Amino acid sequence: MARKEPRTETMEINHRKVSFPEGVTVHRAAELNGVYIPSLCSHKDLSPFGGCRLCMVEIEGMRGYPLSCNTVAQEGMKVLTDTVMLRELRKEILKLILSEHPSSCLVCNERTECQDYQGTIRKAGVTTGCRFCPNDGQCELQDLVEKIGLTEMDYPIYYHGYEPEHDDPFYDRDYNICILCGRCVRMCQEVRGTSVLAFTYRGPRVKIGPAFGRSHTEAGCEFCGACVDVCPTGALADKVSKWDGKPDGCYVSTCPFCAIGCQIELYHKNGRFSKAAANIDPEVNDGQLCVKGRFCLPEVTHHFERAKKPMLQKGNYFREVSWAEALERVAAELKGIQPDEFAMLVSPDLTNESLFAAQKFVRDCLGSRNIDSTARLELGGGLGLWSKLFSLPISIKNIAQADVILAVGLDSRFNFSVVGTKVRKALDRGAKLVTIDPRDSNLARYTDDWLRPLPGREGLLLKFFADSLAGRITDLPWVAEETTVNVPLLERALEILSSSKDLAVIIGPQVFHYDNNEALGDSLMTLAERKNTNFIPLYFGANARGALEMGVFPEIGPGGMSSRGQGIGLEEIVNGSKRLKAIYLVGDIPFFERPDCDFLIVQDIYLPPFKVDAFLPASTFAEAGGTLVNMEGRVQEVVQVENPPEGAVMGFMRPDWRIFADLANSLKGNSMNYKTSQDVLREIRKTVPDFPARLGRKPRRMKAIDHPEIHKPTVGKTSEGDFLLVAEPAGYRHRGIDISSKVGGLGELALEEGFRMHPGDIDSLGLKNGDRIRLSFDNGKVSAGGAVRADVECPRGVIYYTRPVVFGGLKHRRELLPLYILKQNPIRVNVSRIGT
Amino acid sequence: MNEKVLTQNFGLDHLFRIEVYLEQGGYRAAKKALTEWKPEQVLEEVKKASLRGRGGAGFSAGLKWGFVPKKTDKPKYLCVNADEGEPGTFKDRYILSHNPHLLIEGIVIASYAVGIHDAYVYIRGEYEVIALRLEQAIAEAYGQGYLGKNILGSGFDLDLYVHRGAGAYICGEETALLESLEGKRGNPRLKPPFPASVGLFQNPTVINNVETLANVPFIILNGAAWFLAKGLPNDGGTRIFGVSGAVNKPGIYELPVGTSLREIIFTHAGGLKPGRKLKAVIPGGMSSPILKAEEIDIKMDVDSVAAAGSMMGSAAIIVIDDRTPILEVLKKVAKFYAHESCGQCTPCRLGTNWILKIVKRMAEGKGEQGDADSLLRLAANIKGRTLCPMGDAAAMPVFSIAKKFKEELEASLKVKT
Ligand SMILES: Cc1cc2nc3c(=O)[nH]c(=O)nc-3n(C[C@H](O)[C@H](O)[C@H](O)COP(=O)(O)O)c2cc1C
Ligand code: SF4
Ligand code: SF4
Ligand code: SF4
Ligand code: SF4
Ligand code: FES
Repeated sequence: MARKEPRTETMEINHRKVSFPEGVTVHRAAELNGVYIPSLCSHKDLSPFGGCRLCMVEIEGMRGYPLSCNTVAQEGMKVLTDTVMLRELRKEILKLILSEHPSSCLVCNERTECQDYQGTIRKAGVTTGCRFCPNDGQCELQDLVEKIGLTEMDYPIYYHGYEPEHDDPFYDRDYNICILCGRCVRMCQEVRGTSVLAFTYRGPRVKIGPAFGRSHTEAGCEFCGACVDVCPTGALADKVSKWDGKPDGCYVSTCPFCAIGCQIELYHKNGRFSKAAANIDPEVNDGQLCVKGRFCLPEVTHHFERAKKPMLQKGNYFREVSWAEALERVAAELKGIQPDEFAMLVSPDLTNESLFAAQKFVRDCLGSRNIDSTARLELGGGLGLWSKLFSLPISIKNIAQADVILAVGLDSRFNFSVVGTKVRKALDRGAKLVTIDPRDSNLARYTDDWLRPLPGREGLLLKFFADSLAGRITDLPWVAEETTVNVPLLERALEILSSSKDLAVIIGPQVFHYDNNEALGDSLMTLAERKNTNFIPLYFGANARGALEMGVFPEIGPGGMSSRGQGIGLEEIVNGSKRLKAIYLVGDIPFFERPDCDFLIVQDIYLPPFKVDAFLPASTFAEAGGTLVNMEGRVQEVVQVENPPEGAVMGFMRPDWRIFADLANSLKGNSMNYKTSQDVLREIRKTVPDFPARLGRKPRRMKAIDHPEIHKPTVGKTSEGDFLLVAEPAGYRHRGIDISSKVGGLGELALEEGFRMHPGDIDSLGLKNGDRIRLSFDNGKVSAGGAVRADVECPRGVIYYTRPVVFGGLKHRRELLPLYILKQNPIRVNVSRIGT
Repeated sequence: MNEKVLTQNFGLDHLFRIEVYLEQGGYRAAKKALTEWKPEQVLEEVKKASLRGRGGAGFSAGLKWGFVPKKTDKPKYLCVNADEGEPGTFKDRYILSHNPHLLIEGIVIASYAVGIHDAYVYIRGEYEVIALRLEQAIAEAYGQGYLGKNILGSGFDLDLYVHRGAGAYICGEETALLESLEGKRGNPRLKPPFPASVGLFQNPTVINNVETLANVPFIILNGAAWFLAKGLPNDGGTRIFGVSGAVNKPGIYELPVGTSLREIIFTHAGGLKPGRKLKAVIPGGMSSPILKAEEIDIKMDVDSVAAAGSMMGSAAIIVIDDRTPILEVLKKVAKFYAHESCGQCTPCRLGTNWILKIVKRMAEGKGEQGDADSLLRLAANIKGRTLCPMGDAAAMPVFSIAKKFKEELEASLKVKT
């Protein structure tokens, strides 16, 4: 759709001629021209609210004091924003606002001294004045009082005495300092589509919160933090950083937790990374994030279990050692073995620089072919299929422009939230949504046609639609029977899809994780031939696309070059078919137990759950710069926020690429002479032909790699049973750990724990929520037990559980181990109760 | 001459039954409009009749209908405001309970004129029995073909639904009413856009008071000229005045628009009890500015009452005698508005709260010098500065009382100290 550029119009603001783009409000027009109009409730992404009444102006020819936030600027308008009358009026209104805000500090004439000499008592449970507020020094209300120039208050302060709310994870709420601007409510409803927040009660007792006194968790909060980000006061504040005070500054960086690659603002104080917030980046996330990017970064970086020192197994002891000693020992071990007695696994969460350095170290320095990555597991359906998908135009931004959206297995609450907000934007503009998902989801409620096939048959449906749209012959009754979706629903969906001019096809990660991907692969290739189709294939493993480009697989080298012959990879290590002398795990821990080998090296940000011979502490994203490739092919920068000198207090962590360079030096002299990540980047540009010369963050289409095969289904034994068991991919991996083990709030939400079943099924089995159940299959030869949780979003007759790819921090999920090694997904199982 | 129009048959038993209504010539107007007139003709006639809204603002019904876009693909809606929340107002309930078919007939005609096929009656939650009666009447009307598909063979379709409120005054404000009807919290909407273009479910919508619509059948039957003759050239017909307070005969009185306020109180409502003196009158529901005893020689029509510095509002006349301390009146007013403010916008949410606090402390004998001035300042800070007209509704009575009875208020302080 070609979009018209808005025309430029002119008007007079305070007797000055200014121009503005057609259609904006007077408030925005003033802002664009550097004229400040006080406001507390308006926000660029939200509908006008008209609550604070501070933005009133005088407009020639209009009665009274129109609101600049709700008046569209017109050609020739004459606006006054700062008359004596308006100033008085604003002061009066501001006094009223402050009368229910513990705000004496704002107008107190001791306030400057107080700021200087009384900065420490910041741990009050409730806020009783600015010096006790988490927002002190970074508050819109403070700024506004300053700008309006209010210096006296003639109302006493009306303190509500609400109990501060700390019970939900991630952020606290103190409604004693809420000014009821309603931004949070509108954000939650209009942009997130979640409607957790509402105005409750009325008159002077109005208070923000979920309706009917529920907790945020109960009300379906996504913990996206968008409400916190738009709150002009300290009423909403991050738990982790609320008492840090005003940050020293912030860097715009890229979220390292998934392949959306949201732009985030990393705030720092005293050289330490303190909190992350969304950046208004129109290219990708436009001010939105998911719970991971918004709230989980600081805890992952600064958790007390963070491994900060090199360690070596010395006799019976696992000791902290110096880098020199660790490097020397590892180099010595590596020198003594043959190239094919060694293998390295690298995490798809590493930066391009680290991935590139890793493969160079293995291939050039050790002369081995044995490098692999769990990216292979995250990219279900095989690297060949994904290299084809990455060769298609993928645009997250353009989802909002689609006229029809086909969403398959997409729930955007806690993962890929940004995709969800774009879908909502499209729907607001009149787009239609067709959903294929056996499970209920946060988007299913907006759908025009919801197809709920048997789990595992999503690909068949997709193939049916792809073939129909391509004009191929299809067998509707057969598809209906195979997928258990009835014919009229299929026909309606087809009608909607055929009507589309601008189709967006979004495929959730679950769909790639069934054992049989054949229909899915076919359908995607068919759809790819259609014009104006925007594909959004979703996967975990933030830099899996970078891993493909950097070539960290036995069969794929840098730039997708076929690397000579086959090496030993993940599969051989996991199934133990070839015993290696040394294994080097770089942030990739796809095991519960130590893999069998003589010398095990782990390089990561946390210690793995098993015994290792050498541990090398790696920097996190915040401590090492670098680049990541998002799913659209954008090369985006991760900015180094912390750069402390190595030492006992701050730790001895080093960027992964640097550790490889150090090792290479110990082994051979300076074959990898990298001083900064820029040095690595330069070499990547030379070696990887399509890698952009400048970091323009442009989406790129990858050249499809031909030689890796598209996986054919590995047909496992079919088994009998009353229930269908579905493995869901885990959404919280970062390097070797599952971040729910480090981030308290995520752990509390327990999104991926145990078995999930429809409450009706739980009832019919005579079970209660939380009971332990045993699943058995293969005629009872294999079984596994765990707790069951009621989840209304599950279809009847289906049990869901999460199958992680990396296991750091997941000791407590060991009991499901027999399930993790199953090839079949889904699989039929029988259910019984454990105990009485 | 029998001047009554709307209430003329209220004495009849079972007027709320469709048989009785039909016997009295009911639905003749609907038949005439739907089968003999074009929608534009109906609209023209109502415009000519100068039918002013009976809900509060007194806006011309014909003009309001005319604002709805004629050519649109969107559905249009009619919402009937039967929330009757304004303190002192109790007229719509008489129409609804005595003659619901009159309202239904008015709804049919108005919908026909504007091209509406779905209408809603938003009825005050407390009117439970009345809502049941209305629903019965609607069922009867469907049964006899005055609602539903192809009404009276005219090809015109209309469905009518009843929605009960949950007890918030603010839901009588037209945009809050729309929100509430949509199943949301009844918060007023920011205007523009206005309901005529973006109303219920984002579609063009007309909102009218019960009494306003009940007048429509008579305009169709008797013509605009007759209607104007009943009232004034710029404000036609009769109005149902609801008189309450210190009079001998409180109740509803249907009288021509323009009848004098003194006449209503002293002739129709029987005057005050022996030995009492008139102190003040609130002429149009609690939100209208108070009039002192010497100010009641005015005609009761929208423009005249406005000229006198008050408001015709819902024509609910509250009479206050010399035995009632003005502080008591003020306390009632302040309490009501602080409780009923929706809380969305600063001046109303906080202003009403501070007004209440000050009035309370005055009533408790803890008033301070300058309290009356504070009330004036607070009220002035609310008026004209809020998101919806409720702010004005809260500010005007307080302002007028504090201004006109400042001496009494200040005297009451001195007595106590
Ligand atoms: C706070 C407030 C409460 C109102 N309550 C009512 C009410 O209960 N009934 C009513 O008919 N109009 C009420 N109104 C007026 C309506 O907003 C609207 O003007 C009226 O229903 C329009 O109908 P009309 O033009 O037929 O009078 C109220 C207005 C405000 C500001
Ligand atoms: S965190 Fe997100 S979902 Fe939760 S209340 Fe705030 S805006 Fe709504
Ligand atoms: S919590 Fe913050 S954003 Fe929400 S209404 Fe209060 S001040 Fe505004
Ligand atoms: S959607 Fe992905 S990139 Fe964006 S905040 Fe969440 S984890 Fe980070
Ligand atoms: S004026 Fe009062 S009732 Fe109206 S929107 Fe504002 S707070 Fe709500
Ligand atoms: S910014 Fe316009 S009313 Fe608050």
